[in-house]
Amino acid sequence: MKPLLIALPKGRLEEELLPRLQGSAFELDPKALKSRKLRIPMADPMLAAVLLKGADLPRYVAGGVAALGIVGSDILDESPVDLMELSDLNFGVCRLSLCAPDHTTLEQLRRKPHLRIATKFLGATGRWLRQEGITAELVPLQSSVELAPVLGLADAIVDLVQSGKTLLAHHLVELTTLGKASARLVACRGMFLSEPDRIGPMARALTSLLRVP
Amino acid sequence: MPTHTPSFPDLLFEDAARLRRWEAQLMGHLDCAGYRELHPSLVMRNPVNPSTVRFFDGDQLVALRWDFTEALARTLVRRFQDPPRRISYAGPVFRRPANSWDPVERLEVGCEHIQTDPDQRTEADRELARLLMAVPALLGLEGCLLHIGHAALLRRPLEAEHIPLELGQEIARVLDRRAIHRAAELLDGHPAKDRLLAHAEILLSGPNGPGSLDDLARGPYGGLLVAEAEQLGRVLSVLTAQLPKGLTLRLDLGDLRGLGYYSGPTLRLWAPGAQRELAAGGRYDGLYPEMGRPWYAAGFCVRLTTLLELGDNDQGEK
Repeated sequence: MKPLLIALPKGRLEEELLPRLQGSAFELDPKALKSRKLRIPMADPMLAAVLLKGADLPRYVAGGVAALGIVGSDILDESPVDLMELSDLNFGVCRLSLCAPDHTTLEQLRRKPHLRIATKFLGATGRWLRQEGITAELVPLQSSVELAPVLGLADAIVDLVQSGKTLLAHHLVELTTLGKASARLVACRGMFLSEPDRIGPMARALTSLLRVP
Repeated sequence: MPTHTPSFPDLLFEDAARLRRWEAQLMGHLDCAGYRELHPSLVMRNPVNPSTVRFFDGDQLVALRWDFTEALARTLVRRFQDPPRRISYAGPVFRRPANSWDPVERLEVGCEHIQTDPDQRTEADRELARLLMAVPALLGLEGCLLHIGHAALLRRPLEAEHIPLELGQEIARVLDRRAIHRAAELLDGHPAKDRLLAHAEILLSGPNGPGSLDDLARGPYGGLLVAEAEQLGRVLSVLTAQLPKGLTLRLDLGDLRGLGYYSGPTLRLWAPGAQRELAAGGRYDGLYPEMGRPWYAAGFCVRLTTLLELGDNDQGEK
């Protein structure tokens, strides 16, 4: 039987995740982690991990390449893929917020005849705009979104806020919160349902290891 | 972006031959059980579902057949006063999938059992389940799982708690993803939140056999769902006694797909390693009354496209 592949996120969640795996069956082989190997053995020889960019991860799991994965709910909400979302692991918690330059109010933004909002979270922002009855131009950006209002590309941004330090550095304030984001354990629907005796126990072990009460 | 070929797959020689062989095997299997083929048109009118492949025929919007059950129902209602009891079908359906890379054109073989007397329903459900249980051996598949669910297990508690339709659909959608934490967010502030979440925990506890029914009976809606639990218990015991070698039967109370469509027991056949179910079906007693006929119906379809994919992964035919 081939080792079961688990997709782990690079970046924001990775820093919090990897220390939590230490000492468990899911601990990553440190040598392989430092090398350029794509497939990283775990302490349990029947498990292996692949580190992926968050935006790519849901596709690897939905496509059945990885049986399980850990990904931020912010990314999951932007991915139109059919996945099982088995648990909210409750770490990597942050807010998805509408932010604008100091002294701007939400009312001022609502009154703008042509409001421009820069974000990489187009789905969540679009849903919030529809719910609020606001018309705006969405400016799709992939990184350093907070620069957009500073440089005049947009009037406001929708982005993840954890400590608020980046906002402060760019003289931005949070006007409202669109939702909460945190790490989620996801599974490939086909594998979860067709191999329940293999995937179910792994999913439960990962949840009990990683879930923050 | 999806390219054309995976969405509308071309089948070259070997795959085309396998498809024809499976079609013949399955149609022969259904024919032996008294099911007669009905071949509804590939073009359907009045497409309201946005996931269909639509186009204009002159000034009329039409769609490629998106679902055999609905196509057959439209034909039967138009052409028959008394319905034929057993119908089989084979061919493609065209529907936009949940995952953009999955095929739009899907090849199916299936059957429908239609009843005019509600007392005939239990026997019809058992007949269909027996037919479906024979499919893996017919196709040379080993280690398959047959999941049995029941559409009313979530719908009735939602109705009893007066959950608005739209919220109910959203709850079903997130629970279908096993995301109970999302259901908790959706029900925030609702007086029935704790009861519904406790019930959802039972439904989603995993496909784990007859023990699930005891949990259901002890849960907050045990009294409301007595008839459904008994029905599932009976189905499980009848089918377990007739289970072919190499097939595992499991209760999956968390099978919430098609909640607005199915009205009774549901069946899903899984092959190890398959990304999609090999066959799916169940009872849908609401369809014909909506079309003005007091008929009851159940059926299943075998997804040959999934079988072809299994073959590609060398996990299919033995």
